[in-house]
Amino acid sequence: MFFAVDWAGVAQQVVAGLSSGGIYATLAVALVLIYRATGVINFAQGELAMLSTFLAWTLTQHGLSYWPAFALTLLVSFAGGIALERVVIQPVEGAPVLTVAIVTVGLFFLCSGAAFWIWSPEVKSMPNAFSTRPIRIAGVGFSIADLGVIGVSLLAVALLWLFFRFTKLGLAMRAAALNPDSSRLTGIRVGWTIALGWGLAAALGAVAGLMAAPSLGSFDQSFMQPILLYAFAGAVLGGIDSPLGAVVGSLLLGVFLNVIGTYVSWVGTDLRQPAALAVILAVLLVRPAGLFGRAAVRRV
Amino acid sequence: MRTGVRIALGLLVAAAAVTLVLVLPHWLSDARAAELARAGCFFIAILGLNLLTGYTGQISLGHGALMAIGAYTTAILTADHGLRDLWTIPLAGLVAMAAGFVLGLPALRLSGLYLALATFAFAVAMPALLKKFSGLTGGDQGINLFDQALTRSTGALGSVHVFGRSVATNDFLYYLTWGIGLVLAGAAWLLVRGRLGRAFRALRDSEVAAASSGVDASLYKTLAFAISGFYAGIAGSLFVLVSNWFVNPQSFYFDKSLLLVVGAVVGGLGSLAGMALGALFIQFAPTWAGNVSNAPGAPSVFFGAAIVLVMVLAPTGLGGLLRSLGEALTSRLYTRNP
Amino acid sequence: MNAGKGRVFFAVLCALAVVSAASAGGSTTPGVTSNQILIGGTTPLSGLASAYASVAKGADAYFKYVNAHGGVFGRSIKYKYVDDGYDPSQTIQQTRDLVQNDKIFADFNTLGTATNLAIRSYLNELKVPQLFVASGASTWGKDYKKYPWTIGYQPSYAAEGAIYGRYIVKTRPKARIGVLYQNDDYGKELLGGLERGLGKKTKLIVSKQGYDATDQNVKSQIARLKSKKVNTLMVFATPTFAIQSYSYARQLGWRPFVFVNAVSSAANILSVASIASSKQQTEGSISIVYLKDPTDPRWERDRGVILFRSILKKYNGGKGLTDVYNVYGMSAAFTLVDALKHSGKNPTRASVMRAVTHLNERNNPFVLPGISVRTTPSDHFPVAQAKLERYHNGRWVYFGSLVGVG
Repeated sequence: MFFAVDWAGVAQQVVAGLSSGGIYATLAVALVLIYRATGVINFAQGELAMLSTFLAWTLTQHGLSYWPAFALTLLVSFAGGIALERVVIQPVEGAPVLTVAIVTVGLFFLCSGAAFWIWSPEVKSMPNAFSTRPIRIAGVGFSIADLGVIGVSLLAVALLWLFFRFTKLGLAMRAAALNPDSSRLTGIRVGWTIALGWGLAAALGAVAGLMAAPSLGSFDQSFMQPILLYAFAGAVLGGIDSPLGAVVGSLLLGVFLNVIGTYVSWVGTDLRQPAALAVILAVLLVRPAGLFGRAAVRRV
Repeated sequence: MRTGVRIALGLLVAAAAVTLVLVLPHWLSDARAAELARAGCFFIAILGLNLLTGYTGQISLGHGALMAIGAYTTAILTADHGLRDLWTIPLAGLVAMAAGFVLGLPALRLSGLYLALATFAFAVAMPALLKKFSGLTGGDQGINLFDQALTRSTGALGSVHVFGRSVATNDFLYYLTWGIGLVLAGAAWLLVRGRLGRAFRALRDSEVAAASSGVDASLYKTLAFAISGFYAGIAGSLFVLVSNWFVNPQSFYFDKSLLLVVGAVVGGLGSLAGMALGALFIQFAPTWAGNVSNAPGAPSVFFGAAIVLVMVLAPTGLGGLLRSLGEALTSRLYTRNP
Repeated sequence: MNAGKGRVFFAVLCALAVVSAASAGGSTTPGVTSNQILIGGTTPLSGLASAYASVAKGADAYFKYVNAHGGVFGRSIKYKYVDDGYDPSQTIQQTRDLVQNDKIFADFNTLGTATNLAIRSYLNELKVPQLFVASGASTWGKDYKKYPWTIGYQPSYAAEGAIYGRYIVKTRPKARIGVLYQNDDYGKELLGGLERGLGKKTKLIVSKQGYDATDQNVKSQIARLKSKKVNTLMVFATPTFAIQSYSYARQLGWRPFVFVNAVSSAANILSVASIASSKQQTEGSISIVYLKDPTDPRWERDRGVILFRSILKKYNGGKGLTDVYNVYGMSAAFTLVDALKHSGKNPTRASVMRAVTHLNERNNPFVLPGISVRTTPSDHFPVAQAKLERYHNGRWVYFGSLVGVG
C-alpha cells in the first residue's frame, strides 16, 4: 500500500503548495505587521497589493522591463502605505479597534472600485520574472517559477526579520508596538514608526501581488481577494502576532489546500475552501492562540 | 444627564420612532417603501449583531450566513411544507438561533481575531453549502416562492388585506419589518437594562473579573450568540419576502456579513438608534454612490469613501454622534449661569 | 337627422376615436413620450462582476449614436442602467424602482442568471417586457409560454455545449473527454449541453472536475484530469480559470486537445493564455463565435468594427476598444433599435413584444457575416447561429459553415 502512493506526484503537489503558500505568507506577514502596529487586520491589504500590481503592469506597458518596474512599484507602494496611514488611519488612532477595522473595510471597497474604474476589465498578463519551463529534479517535475516564488517570498520575509532584529529603526518599531507610551518617553516617534509599518506592509503586499500575478497566468481586479482570505487564515493559524507563525501557517495552508484538492475527492473542489478553513478552526480549538501565538495573559 | 430626564428622553425618542414608522408611507413611493423594508431587515440583523459585539465584545463576521439560514428556512418551509410565509418567521428565528448557538461554541475557546476567523469561515462556507445541498435549497437557481408557493406568499400579488383594509404589498412589508424591528429593539433594550445586559457588559469589560463575580462566562457567551442568531434569522426570513419571495445563494456571499458589521459600527455599537441609522446607511449609501457615477467601479469608490469619512468624523458611529449631540444640547439645560 | 349629416357625424366620431386611440397609445404607455423612449436595466457596477459592466456601456454608446442620427421615429432612446452588485435582492429593488418610479418602457440587457430569475415573475406579472436578458441560460428562450414577456439574446450555454458534443462524435469518436466546469448554472449548462450533444456517447467523458468561482486556482483539477488520461479537455470556465487550465497543463507537461467556451475565447484572452503557457499549448483549440472580435486583425477593415471603434471613441472616451463585451452590448442595442422600428410609430409594450418575437435581422454589423438575428413566436432564441473556429498560429480561423445554436 505504502509504495503504491505516487511520491513524485505528492512531491510535486507539495512544491506547488509551498509556492502558493509563499505568496500567502508574504501577504500574511504584511497583515501581522499592521496588526502589531495598529491592532487591526487590514481588510484592504489585498486590494492595495492589487493596485500595486496594476501599477507595475502599467509601467511594463510603458516600456519598463520587469525588474525595474518591480523596484519602482515597491518604492511607490512603500510611500503609499506611509501616506495612507498618516492620512486615513492616524485620525482614528484613539478610536475603538472596530472603528479602525471598518475604516480598512471602507478602503477595501474604495481600492477595488478604483481599480475597475481606472483599468479595463479584461484579463491581463504580467511577465514572469522566472521561467515557467518545467524542470525535473529527482524525477519530480517542478517549474523554476515555483521555486523562484518560494525564494522571493522567503527572502522578503527574511530581510524584514533582519531589519527588525538588527537595526535601530526596527528595534524602535518593535518597542513602539509593544508599549507605545514607554517608547514615547524614550524619544521614539511612535506615530511615524506606525506609518513605517504600514509602508513596509504595503511593500510586502506589492511583492505578493507581483509574485502571484505571473504564477496565476493572468490577473484582473479581483485576483488578490482569495489570496487575502488565505493570508488571513494562515496568519491566524500561525498566531496573529507572530510573523514566523504567519509564514509557517501560510506555507502549511498552501500545501494543505493543494493536497486536499488533489487527493480528497469527497470534499469536492467546491468545498475545498470551507474544508481548509474548518481544519484551521480545528487546530485553533486545540491551540486557541495559533501555532506560535502567545496566549494572552489576562491581567485581572 | 439625570436618570429621570434620560428615561423621558428615551420614551420621547421611542414614541417619535413609532410615529415615524406609522406615518412615513404616506409620503413614500411604493419603491421607496420596499427599500425601507429592506433596510428594516438589516436593522433587525444589526440589532442582533449589536447585542453580540457591542455588549459582549465578541466579533462575528458570519451574520450574513445566519441571515441566510433564516431566509432558507422560510423559503423551504413555505415552498415544500405548506406553511404560510408569515408563520415561518418565528421558526426561521429559532433555527438561526440554534445555528447561532453552534457558531458560538468556538467562542468558548477562541476570542478576538481567532473568533472572527471562525465566524468568517462560516460565512465563506455558506454559499458553497447552499449550492451543494441543492435538493433542499434549489442550488444555484435558488427558491422562487412566487412560482412555487404563490398562494402562501402574503402579498405577492400586489396587496394584502389587513383588518378589512387593502394595503399595498410594499407598504405592508415596510410595516412588517419595522414593526417587528421596533418590537425587537424594545426587547433588546429591556435585555440590556436587565440582568442579562449587565452580565454581557461585565464579560465585555473583563471576562476574568466577571467570572470571579459569578457570571457563567460560557453560558452567557453562547447565549449572546444564540440571541443574535435569532435576530439574524428573523431578518433573513423577512429578507425573502422583501426580495420578491426569491432566495438565492448569490445574495449571501461574505460581503453580506461584512456589510452588516459595517452597518453596526457605522451606526454605532451600543446605540439602538444608531442601529437604525446604520441599517439606513448600508441600504441607501450604495445607491447614492451609484447615482454619483455609473462608471463600473465608481459606486464602490464612493461607498468606500463614505464609510471612511463617517468613521473619521464619527469614530463612535452615528449613534455615538447622536448621543454626544443630545448631551451637548441637554447639558445646557443644567448649566447654571453663575 | 338626414343621411349627409349622419355620415359627417359618423366620420367625425371615427376620427375622434382614431385620434384618442393614437394618443392613448402614446401617452399611456409608460416610458414613451413624444421625444423619448426610456428603457432601464441593472448591471453589476460594483464587486467582482463589474468586469461584465461593459455589456451595458457598449449598448449605451450605441444608443447615443442612434440618437445622434435621429433616433427611432424621432424619439431618442434613454438607457438607464443601475448597479445591483450582482445580488438578486438588489436587482429586485432597483428594478422595482425603475419600473415604478422611473416608469421604464421595458427592462433591457440586465446581466446575470440569478438576477434575472429574481425579477422575471415580477416583470411578467406587470407585463413589462424583459428584453434581451444578458445571460446564456436556456430558460429565457425555453420557458416563454410561462413567461411571455421575457426573451434572451445570446446562444444558450446548453446549445453551445451540444455543438461541441456533436462535433466530437463526428470527428473524435474515441476521445477521452475531461471537463473543467464552473460549479454554477453557467458551467453546469455547458456540461449538460455537452452530454446532450454526445448523445449515446456520454461515456466518452471520463472525468468532470468542478471549481467554484471563488477558488483561487484550478491546479488540482487539472492535475486530476491529467491523471485520468484525458486527451480532450473541455474548458467550461471563465477567462481567469481558462487561462490557468492552459498554464497548469503545460506545467504538468500535458497537452490535450482543448475546447474552450465562447465566454473565454476572445483573441486577447487566448494570447494571454499563450504567454502564460506556450504557443503550442493553445494551438488547435476549438471554440464557437458569433460576435466580431475587435482584437482579431481579420476585422481591421470591417465596417461593423470600424463603426464599433468610432462609436466608442465618440461616446465612451475611446475606452474599451478591445473589450468584446462592448461588442455584445452594441449588438443587443442594435437589435432593440431594430425591434423598436418594427413596433409601430407609437410603440407599446405589446407591440415591442410582438416585434421581438418576429425578428428577421440580417444586417447586424456586430455579429458574424451571415448570421441573422431571428425569432418566431415559437423560437425565442434571437442569436442562434455561430461558427466553429480553431486557434492556429496565434489567430482564430473559422471553419465549416454556420452551425445552429438553439
